[in-house]
Amino acid sequence: MKVSLTWLNNYVSLKGIKPEELSQAITLRSQEVEDLSPLVDIEEGVTIGEVTGCRPHEEAEKLSVCTVDTGEKKRTIVCGADNVAEGQKVVVALPGAVLAGGMEIRETTIRGVHSEGMICSLSELGIDEKYHQEEGIHVLDPAAPIGSDALEYLAFNDTVLELDLTPNRADLLSMHGVAYEVAAIFGRNLSIPDPELITSEQANTVEIETQTEGCQSYYGRVLEEATIGPSPRWMQARLIAAGIRPINNIVDVTNYVMLETGQPLHAFDYDALRSDRIVVRDAREGESFVTLDEEARTLKAGDVLITDGERPIALGGVMGGLDTEVTSSTRSILLEAATFDPARIRRTSSRLDLKSESSMRFERGVDPQKTRYALDRAAALIAIYASAAVRDGVQNVDRHARGPRDVTLSLNTLNKVLGSNYEAPAVRDVFNRLRFPYDEEDEVFTVHVPSRRQDVNTYQDLIEEVGRLMDYNALPDTLPTTLSIGGLSSRQKLRRHLRRTLSGLGLFETMTYSLRDVSRIDDLTLENGKPVELSKPLSREHHALVRTPLHGMVDVAAYNRARKQESIHLFEIGKQYTSEAERERLGLLMSGPYHHHRWRPTPPTDFFTLKGVIEALRQALNLPRFHYEAITLENYHPHQTARIYCKGKSIGHIGKLHPEYVEPQGLEDVYVAELDIESLEALQQEDYTYAPVSPYPGVRRDIALLVDDDVPAEALKDSLASVMPDRLQSSHVFDVYTGEKIEAGKKSIAIRLTLADPEGTLRSEDVDALIAEGVEALSREHGAQQR
Amino acid sequence: MAVPAPDRAFLFEKGRVSMDVNERIKALEEKLIEALKKVEDHNDLQQTKAEFLGKKAEISQIMKHMKDLPEEERPAFGKAINEGKQRFSELIERKREEIRRRELDQKLKQERIDVTLDAPDYTPGSVHIIHRIVEEIEDLFIGMGYRIEEGPEIETDEYNFERLNIPKDHPARDMQDTLYIDGERLLRTHTSPVQVRTMLRYGGGEPVKIICPGAVYRRDDDDATHSHQFYQIEGLVVDEHTTMSDLKGTLLRVAREMFGSDREIRLRPSYFPFTEPSVEVDVTCANCDGDGCGVCKQSGYIEILGAGMVNNAVLRMSGYDPERYQGFAFGLGIERIAMLRYGIEDIRHFYVNDLRFNRQFT
Repeated sequence: MKVSLTWLNNYVSLKGIKPEELSQAITLRSQEVEDLSPLVDIEEGVTIGEVTGCRPHEEAEKLSVCTVDTGEKKRTIVCGADNVAEGQKVVVALPGAVLAGGMEIRETTIRGVHSEGMICSLSELGIDEKYHQEEGIHVLDPAAPIGSDALEYLAFNDTVLELDLTPNRADLLSMHGVAYEVAAIFGRNLSIPDPELITSEQANTVEIETQTEGCQSYYGRVLEEATIGPSPRWMQARLIAAGIRPINNIVDVTNYVMLETGQPLHAFDYDALRSDRIVVRDAREGESFVTLDEEARTLKAGDVLITDGERPIALGGVMGGLDTEVTSSTRSILLEAATFDPARIRRTSSRLDLKSESSMRFERGVDPQKTRYALDRAAALIAIYASAAVRDGVQNVDRHARGPRDVTLSLNTLNKVLGSNYEAPAVRDVFNRLRFPYDEEDEVFTVHVPSRRQDVNTYQDLIEEVGRLMDYNALPDTLPTTLSIGGLSSRQKLRRHLRRTLSGLGLFETMTYSLRDVSRIDDLTLENGKPVELSKPLSREHHALVRTPLHGMVDVAAYNRARKQESIHLFEIGKQYTSEAERERLGLLMSGPYHHHRWRPTPPTDFFTLKGVIEALRQALNLPRFHYEAITLENYHPHQTARIYCKGKSIGHIGKLHPEYVEPQGLEDVYVAELDIESLEALQQEDYTYAPVSPYPGVRRDIALLVDDDVPAEALKDSLASVMPDRLQSSHVFDVYTGEKIEAGKKSIAIRLTLADPEGTLRSEDVDALIAEGVEALSREHGAQQR
Repeated sequence: MAVPAPDRAFLFEKGRVSMDVNERIKALEEKLIEALKKVEDHNDLQQTKAEFLGKKAEISQIMKHMKDLPEEERPAFGKAINEGKQRFSELIERKREEIRRRELDQKLKQERIDVTLDAPDYTPGSVHIIHRIVEEIEDLFIGMGYRIEEGPEIETDEYNFERLNIPKDHPARDMQDTLYIDGERLLRTHTSPVQVRTMLRYGGGEPVKIICPGAVYRRDDDDATHSHQFYQIEGLVVDEHTTMSDLKGTLLRVAREMFGSDREIRLRPSYFPFTEPSVEVDVTCANCDGDGCGVCKQSGYIEILGAGMVNNAVLRMSGYDPERYQGFAFGLGIERIAMLRYGIEDIRHFYVNDLRFNRQFT
């Protein structure tokens, strides 16, 4: 809502209040002020002049040399506008004036002619083109007094306060409402005059019938013998200040009164109606109607139609029809002031994407007490400014329930909710300033809420009124006295643990969008499934919910690779979204040198680098052993991908991305893994288990074996562990060899065993026996030969 | 007998044998000192040692004469020889240590490095700045006894709107343009549904004191200041005596934790369907200390969050009796906090994950 301060001053005196103070007070006690600026950003030097002579410029075809009488002198002014002519009253910017946009006017010589000022267009005064359709200079009416301030004459010397309204405050969509608010904030008097309407002998004969619940009230007046023309300057200026384009005296009055009262109005060309009836009904499904913006609208059953009994003439509460629009030839007018079901207006206007000043007000609810007032006020103004005769009587249907809305608030409750220590006189003062009538008994206030404040329905709403007008910043700073124990859940602790461990290992946490391209949604997952898609996607890129954080992470890797980042090591705690559940997933991605040495050799980053990170994480989380089983997975390297198991349960996967998948994205050698966080949480051991450290040193033995190439090392180690469960402390593969010295299809693998007896030192012959037993098991189970 | 060796002659020419021996050894010692000066390495030293202390060394030859001496002179003679040998050994060992030290110095010199060369990258990675701030806020509230509650991002219209006093066709729905999955399911536009779910779980019989962090979604075109996805933390306290002053005091602590202990806050009236009264909260601009500057658009204040007293309708729908309970709620956007705190100019940085950006928050 844009508020003209000149206009506001008509209802509540702003004397002694600087615009900045007003703005600050409204922000702290009512609504956020978005902007405070002059309607026209010109300080001085714009005057009214008369063109007393006008001849073509001898050296420039498009220019005219004008003699302009600005009162104190006659000036020569070179003008480029086509429409300049002798006898016009015009707006003259004198030398020294600074126009909107910062253009400074100076005496200057244009093609040999000395020019002492500029004749201005509305745009040059800073009136946006959306408010006028004038080409060339602005021509004032002949009565404009030469030599006086042009901005004052045009009523442009105004300041506009723009309020960022919250949707509950429908009352502030009117100048009256803003006046009530400002009067309450500053404790000032308020004067809102009643309309002074003189009617003719002729009676209003329109019959009004409402057939739908969607229309709550409908008031009509008829005016005759109207003269269509421009509205008065002050009204145009106020409309412009409010952000509405002046059109003609009839339309401008309906808009003006809407701004004044918050009650939208509509004027029909009475002679264009096919009957003397107004029938308000529900639209029929699929019915078509041409609104006055010349668009054919297809309607639905919930829309409210105003008809003349034969054909639709307006889409109720949203927009009038083209056929009954007021035009320059209109003589008689049917003036409508009605109220509609807010929810239905909202549905209609959002479905048709047709937001108007009127629909905006109906959606939020208008004051039913203002409907008749607005109708009479508009009729009175049209009578004055379009010289129309108002027929006697108002025809109406009104279903609004009348009667006061009483809301009770005790001083005790007020202070209990705010934590304040306010006393009854302060509360009385607030209600008085708000002009809320009330009864008071034992510090309990029964407030009779005026209908203009439809947002005040509960005692909490009254607490807000008192709280804000007393200023919330006056409240003390205390803390809740509720005693409670704070803390993290095990999942929350796990997440923090993951973040600390992985960042400590040199990985960077990423945060990527959950919405992605649906066609790629299952690119990197173990299982495919039905994606969760938006019904109206934001775009192709943000279409469906991801099924793994890896998706976004690969994009992050590509982005960074394109920016010459060598080491890209990432993790993200993301989600797998399905129709049934959201499961948290840990994504890991490694590409490029890890622990890079730069000026000396660094081992290449490969599958085992990432596996090492996973194993470090496993140990940090105190999880049991992981098993890795080679698998094939689309978009992954067919021979470098594995599923990860823990305690026999699949908990994720690890693998190199297929070159054909990553190369188009400018990447190579990308290793990723995904772990299911819920599984990790379930597998976490509650606490550490302690076993005494053996005082005896272990015995180390190496064995070299020849096995088939496809025998996994883990299987060999498992066999050894099962043969000597109590004695085997650790086993590590320290050499793997295939090549010339080994027969094809075989590999040589060397394992270092550390054996120990917790009870004593192992004797050499015991070790020999254990090793022999182990080798025997490897031979039996895996066909291994000792080398 | 053959011509006697000069030493013999020497020994016998002088009557006082022991005296002569001392002088002789003294002469030899000086010779050794001279010889050692020429010694370069362990090899030379070995030779010199053989020359002065070996079986064929002069001192060993002199020793052989002891048997020719009178019995009473023998001890003095022997003592002189032994002490001589002892001194020779010491001289040689001192030289040996000198060579060893010199050779080690030489070796260490070979090991000289340029200490300014780059270290390998053992640098840590980083926790995403958004999660870092979330944890900071969580810790502040845990310290005040709050629990952290979470909930699904795919929500229903009922929990995201209706139970929060935002019925269908309510104008407030415009404030949060929503991404729908179907007629009923949507991506939550705030973490408030977690508050509703928590209250329903508590069953209306006990106080609630929680914060709810999480990702939320709005139908917004991404630009420098808008993101269709962002991170929010909401807080809720419901008890028999929770006041708006408690809210104000709590938010002052949040503002100071996030922006510095000298910050002040300002409450302005606002509107949210789920709270009544509702406020928006500004913090004094850290850039100008509240004097007004470009960052705060000359106002001296920067908006950081929305809050209010829980609307009775919401309490009722969540199973809490408004006759007995009252509460406050607040919500803040983490990206906005981070942008204000670090002067980050574009919200998209948080989701692009340029490592040159993320690395700055290691």
